[in-house]
Formats: sequence, C-alpha cells, structure tokens
Amino acid sequence: MRQLLKGNYAVAEGARLCRVNVVSAYPITPQTTIVERLSEMCASGDLDAKFIKVESEHSAMATLVGASSAGVRVFTATSSNGLLLMHEVLHWVAGARLPVVMANVNRAVSGGWNIWADQTDAISQRDTGWVQIYCESSQEVLDSVIMAYRLAEKISMPVMLTYDAFFLSHTTETVDVPDIERVDAFLPPYRPEFKIDIDNPRMFGGLIPPEYFYEHRYAVHRASLETLDWYPEICRGFRDMFGREYGITEEYRTDDAEVVVVTAGTITSVVRITIDRMREAGIKVGLVKLRLFRPVPVERWRTVLGAIGKVVVIDRNLSPGLAGVFASEIQATLYPLENRPAIYPVVAGLGGRDVTPEDIEGIINHALSSDDPAGIPLFWGLKQ
Amino acid sequence: MAVKKHRDVSVIYDIKTWRDITPMNTSAGTMLHNKTGNWRTIKPVFENKTPACQDACPAGNDIEGWIRLLQKGEYEKAYWHLKREEPFPSVLGRVCFRFCEEACNRNPLDECVGIGALERFIGDYGASCGPHPDLPEYNGKSLAVVGSGPAGMSAAYFGRLLGFRVVIFEALPVMGGILRVGIPGYRLPREVVAAEFEKLAAMGIELQPGTAVGEDISFKEIGNRYDYIFLATGAHGSKKLGIDGEDESRRIMSGLELLRNVALGEDVTCGKRVAVIGGGNTAIDVARTVLRMGSDVTLIYRRSEEEMPANPEEVMEAREEGIQFRFLAAPEKVELHDDGSIRKLICCEMELGPIDESGRRRPVRKDGALFDVETDSILTAIGEVPVLDYLNGIAAAGNTSVAVDDTLTAGIGKNGNIFAGGDITDIPRTVVNAVASGKRAAIAIDCEYKGIDFGDVVKENSVGNGSALSFSRYMHWEPAVPWNIHQVVDSEKIVYDYFIKAPRIEEKTEDAGERKASFNAYRETYTEDDAQQEASRCMHCGRCIECDNCLIFCPDSSVLLQDDDRFGYAFDYDYCKGCGVCFTECPRYVITMVSEEEGDK
Repeated sequence: MRQLLKGNYAVAEGARLCRVNVVSAYPITPQTTIVERLSEMCASGDLDAKFIKVESEHSAMATLVGASSAGVRVFTATSSNGLLLMHEVLHWVAGARLPVVMANVNRAVSGGWNIWADQTDAISQRDTGWVQIYCESSQEVLDSVIMAYRLAEKISMPVMLTYDAFFLSHTTETVDVPDIERVDAFLPPYRPEFKIDIDNPRMFGGLIPPEYFYEHRYAVHRASLETLDWYPEICRGFRDMFGREYGITEEYRTDDAEVVVVTAGTITSVVRITIDRMREAGIKVGLVKLRLFRPVPVERWRTVLGAIGKVVVIDRNLSPGLAGVFASEIQATLYPLENRPAIYPVVAGLGGRDVTPEDIEGIINHALSSDDPAGIPLFWGLKQ
Repeated sequence: MAVKKHRDVSVIYDIKTWRDITPMNTSAGTMLHNKTGNWRTIKPVFENKTPACQDACPAGNDIEGWIRLLQKGEYEKAYWHLKREEPFPSVLGRVCFRFCEEACNRNPLDECVGIGALERFIGDYGASCGPHPDLPEYNGKSLAVVGSGPAGMSAAYFGRLLGFRVVIFEALPVMGGILRVGIPGYRLPREVVAAEFEKLAAMGIELQPGTAVGEDISFKEIGNRYDYIFLATGAHGSKKLGIDGEDESRRIMSGLELLRNVALGEDVTCGKRVAVIGGGNTAIDVARTVLRMGSDVTLIYRRSEEEMPANPEEVMEAREEGIQFRFLAAPEKVELHDDGSIRKLICCEMELGPIDESGRRRPVRKDGALFDVETDSILTAIGEVPVLDYLNGIAAAGNTSVAVDDTLTAGIGKNGNIFAGGDITDIPRTVVNAVASGKRAAIAIDCEYKGIDFGDVVKENSVGNGSALSFSRYMHWEPAVPWNIHQVVDSEKIVYDYFIKAPRIEEKTEDAGERKASFNAYRETYTEDDAQQEASRCMHCGRCIECDNCLIFCPDSSVLLQDDDRFGYAFDYDYCKGCGVCFTECPRYVITMVSEEEGDK
C-alpha cells in the first residue's frame, strides 16, 4: 500500500513488518519520532513487541544484548551523541555476533550543539564491526530494514542503517509499504543456533585468552566479509519479491563518464539532478552512490571506479586532521591499481549546511579544471 | 551428567583454526557442571517476616494474614484466621485505637490502610459464621475468670482454645464490663457485645452474670472450685477531684458511674449545663453521652489540647458535636446552694511548667487567676482506679493495682495459680491491651499446667519487638511459608517503587448534627466493594504474595518455584552466586541475605 511517510516513520514501518520482538530505545532528536511511533504500535497491538524504556542509549543497546542473546529479533534507533554513548556496547554486540538492527539518523556530533545532518556520528563507529548501510530515500530506508534482518541473521552480525537528519528523517515521501505476509515470506522467523536457555546453560561472552582472542577477532572479521557474499543475493531476492532493486553501490550514468561523483546519503539526489543537467550540456559526468561502507566492498569499488579518469568523493563528515573519511578509504582501496583514477576529496554540507545543485556543479567544475588533485581536500563552501 | 558435559567442553577447547571459534562467542557445551554457587559468601533466604502493623498491635493481630484472605473473598476463612490472634473483631474493629494504622508502612506513601474498618467488616461477617473450627477437647482443668471485660473475655476465649473448662463471673447483671457499661453505645452497640458473649457461650464457656465475687461467692470458694483464677475486674473506681465541697452534693458525680447508669438504663439527670473534668477517653465519652441527653457540655482540662490523653479522632468528633473545651483550667472549689445544687464552680487558670514524669509539661496554677463556671452538674473523669475490696486480705491493702510478674501471675494466693490482667494491673488502658493481657495470661496458665517454662515460650512466640505473643505459633498452627516472627518489616525495608498511591476509603459517618441526636452508632461498616478496595491497598509487608520479581530478576535462573505447587520460592544453591538481586527487588523484604556461616547453622 502506498503511503506518505517521513523517513522516520518508514523505519518504524520496516521494524513492524519484520515483527521485531523487543524494542529498546532512548529518545534523541532527530530520531525521536521513530521510537514514538514504535511505542504507539506496541501500545495499540499493531506490533507484538516488548518496548523497554531505558535511561540511556548505552542501556538501550545493552538491553538488546540480553534480548538478542535470548534469541529474539530486536531493534533500536538513535542518533549522534546517542550513538556515541552506545559505542562500547556496539563493539560488544559485534563481538558477540548478535544480529541487532539499528537505525541511526545522521546528525552532527557535539560539542557546539548541532542537530542537523552530518555523517560523522556513523563514520566514527566504523571500527566496531557493525555492517553499515547508507540510505537516500524513505523507500530505501524501509526496504533496507527488511534486507538488514535477512543479512544480520544470515551472518550473525549487527547492521546499522543510517540516513540524514531532517533531509530524510523529517521529509515526507510516497512509500510503498509492502504487505506483512509478503515480508514474512521473505524474512523467516529468527532461529538462532545459540541462545540463552536455562535448561541448557552455556557460557556467553566469557574470557578469551591470548591464544584464542586473535582467532576470535578474525572470525568476526570473516563474518563481516560474508556480507559481500550474501548481500547481493539478498538484494536479488528482494527485487524478485518486491520489485525494487538495491546493491552494494548504485551507478548512475557512469558508462562513458570522465568524472564520477561519489556520495552517500541524501546529497546523492542532488548530484543525480545535477548530472542530468550537466549531461544535457554535454559534460560526461556520472554518479556512484555508496550504500555499503562496512565491510568495505573492495572489489566492487575497484570495478565501478577503477576505470574512471577523475573521481570526486563528497564527504558529509570530517575526521579532523585527515578530512573526509569516504575519500580516504576509496583512495586506500584504489591505490594498488596500476592505472588508478585521480581522486578529488571534497568536504561539504557539515552540520546540515545545504548542498545545492549549484554547489555540485561547482565541485565538478573544480575537478574538470584541475589535473593534479594531489589528494588535497577541497573544503567546499567554507567561509574563507 | 556433569562429568560427561565436562568432557564435551574440553573437546571444544581444542581450537586448531579460527573456524573452531563458536558463533556468538558461546561455549559449545552446557555449563551445568560449573556450580557457581561456590562463589557465594552470602545467601538469600526465603521467609516471611512480621509486618509493622502486627508488631505494633499489643495483641499481635495477624492483620496481613486475614486481609489476604479477605482480598480473595474468603471472608469466613478471614474471620477465623483473625480470631486466632484477636478474638473480638466486631468489638476491636469499632473501638480500637489502632496502633497498627500508626505503624502501617503505607503512611510514608499516602495514608495507612483502614485496618480498623476492615477488621470491623470481617468481624460483622462473623455473625454468619458457624461454630469455632479450632475447639479442642477439654484438658480436665478449670479456669475461673473474674470480670467479663475485654481482658476476661480474652482469657476465657484463649483458655477454652487451650482446653480449659472456663467460667466467667460478672458482678453486674450484664456481661461485658467496660465494653458494656463504659464505652457508650454510639461507639459500641450493646448487641455487638452481646453477640460476642453468645459466641463465647457457644464455645462452652459458662457465663455467670450478677455474681459478685466477694459478695455472691467468696474468693476462697472460687479458689477451692477452680484450678486457675484470672482476675480481670478492671478499673471501675474514680479518682476524686480533692476540692472543697466535692462530697457535699449529689450534683457532683463520677463520670464512669454516670456512663454505667446510662448503660444500665437507669434514670439519670444532669441538668442543662454540665461541666466534665478531665482529658482522657472517659472524659470524652462522658461529655458526648450527656450531650446526647440534651445538656450543654463544657470539658475542663488542666493542660492544653496537645497533652490530652484522649484519642484525637474522638476529640475532633466531640468538638464537631458541639462540646466546648476549656483548656489550662482546673477546679478549685464548688459553691453550693442550700438544697445541695451547685451555685458555681470556681476554677483556676493554669500554665504549663517543666516536663513531668509522664513526659508532658506539668500544669502549674496561675495565682489569683480564678474564674467562675456556671453549671448544674459536675462530672469527674480524671482517672479510673481498680476496686480491690473483694481481694481484701489477699492483696496488699492500699495498692492501686494488682502487681503481676511477667507470667501475669499475681503475687497472691499460695499455689501461684492466680493470674491477673487488664486494667486491674498496671498496663496501658486500652481495650486491645486488655485483650492482649488475657491472651498472655491464658498461655501462661497453659504453661503452668503443662510445666513449660514461660520464658522459653515468650522467646519463641514474641511477635516482633513488642510484648504480643503469637497464639498460632504457640499452638504450632504453622503457616505455609516459614515465618521469622522476630524480624519486623518497617518502612525502611519496603521498596516503595513497586507501590502506587491509592486513596484510603473511609467508613461512612453521619454528620455531627445527626449523630448527637441519638445514642445510635453513627459509623457504617464497609460495603463489600469498599472493603475489597481498601484491602487492595495492603502492601503485604514481609509476606510473599508470589509477585515473581525474584524469579524474573535472578540473573542466574536460580530462583525456583517450589515443588508440589507449594506456595513461594526456593533457591538453587548449586548456582546462586549470592548476588542479592532477588533481595533488592523483593518489594516486601521476604527475601533476606544471611552469611553462609549463619545459614549453615
């Protein structure tokens, strides 16, 4: 059924369709309306789940550690500082191989308060072991929740979906909400191999001495990499069932492109429009939208970017002392290639600063006019 | 099983490659072999305690026990359960000053549970209940109770439950003592008292009204005819004012005597204006009684309202009904007309001086601050004293009460078979204290008969910190859950997070104008709905209600349901680490932690 939904409500619908059993969350702008809607669903009976109120995001995630270990499907959502407060437990969840799915609304990280779009919060969790998927639209958010559970439960790893504050969380779009019976057909009930069972108690999360910890971490690493085997298959299954196709990346008009812009999140939509406009003017420009950021899809990135002349990477995040993290990781990934592209790192749109088609055109023109990027980041739109 | 699983685990620990690491970082085999109970230094113990209300009750009434049955709608069971510790719920439910409610752990939350009103509800339900279920065969010994007030009634009741053949001697033509001829009918209707005696008679207790010991039957003869004697003749004499003119007029009367005459239906006239002297419960009863006879009443008390020993609720009701109060005033002198009627009462203003031995500020006369009170009668109620004439030659002359030891054995008679209780002894003058002394005496008499050391019995059966003895415990009527009788659960031990506020239901009470127009009772017993709603406010302090908190919160799944559907919980000490979460989350302090050494004892 087609509905008008804000990004946050699309996420809540996704969780409902997946029949999650436990929701534990702590409110934070701009995530709040997700858990509001979920709590309403729990209260009305539309969602047969235990909604556990907690006093912090750390507790929210810790609660899910318990619930997930007990063998049920769990969900939470957060944003910015809330995500950072979970940080310790995020590592635990991945180490314990719990298939938790979480929505993170990308918001700038304090100090100096800012509640607007910025991906630094999610980026700073990149080493926790969580699978990270970046979304562009309400429909993609909803669909990604469903696919996330398939993936998480397949590989026993947690999945974080992220999308931009307000540009997506609070913007209404038409969304096709699938029938729950069809979702049931796509996503079978969660049947973990190991779970807490008082009649057959096992040790969970015990001490791992030096002679095994390395192997344990490597097993986590391999589990993350399994995403690359399973996610494309899950996406194809989803397309067959629901008619919408997603991938690890999405390419747009890249075939003969001399310049390709790489984005993640809502800037993608602006870039797509700008490319259409510039193509009409005869400029050979294309787009690669990143969806999967962890695990790094090395082969995929090399395939879609390796043969391009100039690659512009727009980062709505900032690692001080380095600049954009997507650019840095793409540089590292493409470096071993013999004929690697020229990479133009660009930082833009921090803290909710609007990035317009004119900005994108300016950024592309910068790349077109410069033949030696030398890896020096461009801080686009900075008041110099 | 433990050995086999241990082998499983050792196999799994042989990790050759990273692929041998289990998903989800768990042990591959069961951990049942790992008996984590050996980490424990303290351990949880599951045992009921004594609620604050029961501790505060001089009679040790198991309030929580019968409220629980009341909540289930099992009113007859509740009635008989109540009567195991406190025999006269329809009486106490009306007149008790309710120390239990003062101690109720709900007070810090909102308001105490209406225990008195609930007890009255159950007591009145008792009218429809059959014969006493716990009556034993006679034990071959007899007990004579002298005096049929609450102490005597109680000793007779418990004495009969212990197997004694009991007779009660009462000097007045009606049974009940202070309940019948002291407490006015608007507080305690005659028929309620009469119904209790019907129940006592139905238990086989012989009632002998109109038999004054010392007149109709000698004390010596009673001593010859009965194995044990319990003296409970109360305090029916009045203290004198000790002022000029006191003995020269029939218009100056003992308030207690007036109450007795009114209760016995004798013709009593006081005139239009009445002065009542005193600040205790008797003074209030006297004032409200003559008010109902149509007089204007002024109550004169030598201290201030704060120091009044009377129950504050009754003082408030008296004031509502129109009693005038004159505090800090004391009579000095009465001036009479020639015909013996009162010309005027001369009083002196008082002020409060230093604290005296009663813990209150002593009233001190203000020199020269005299004032006149115009009155037709003066009723005195400044203190009641036992009348010990019938013991002449046995009790020491000049004593104001009968001295007793811990066993309530009076130091009189030659065989140590004479016991005493109630207002004749030096105890707080309340009905419930009298009932408690009757119960204590019955147990003491039983110990005497059986040759059991009463001191040991007291140690075993003392309820909480108080003087009350548990009759159920003495009789080995063991509860379903072990009961640590000595440990009191006060408000500090309650986890209030688990309780929500709820308004107290008050009994319907007539307004002052209506109630002062007659001697009829002015308070109504709860309806069943009201009783249920009020009973639901009980927090069951120190008593397990199977709320399952311990079961849910135990991180080691070591709180278990009892076998065979028995009530409550058990612990799996093989795995309980003694973390104390069950103790912390028990709302009502049923689970407590003891050291391993203590627990092993």
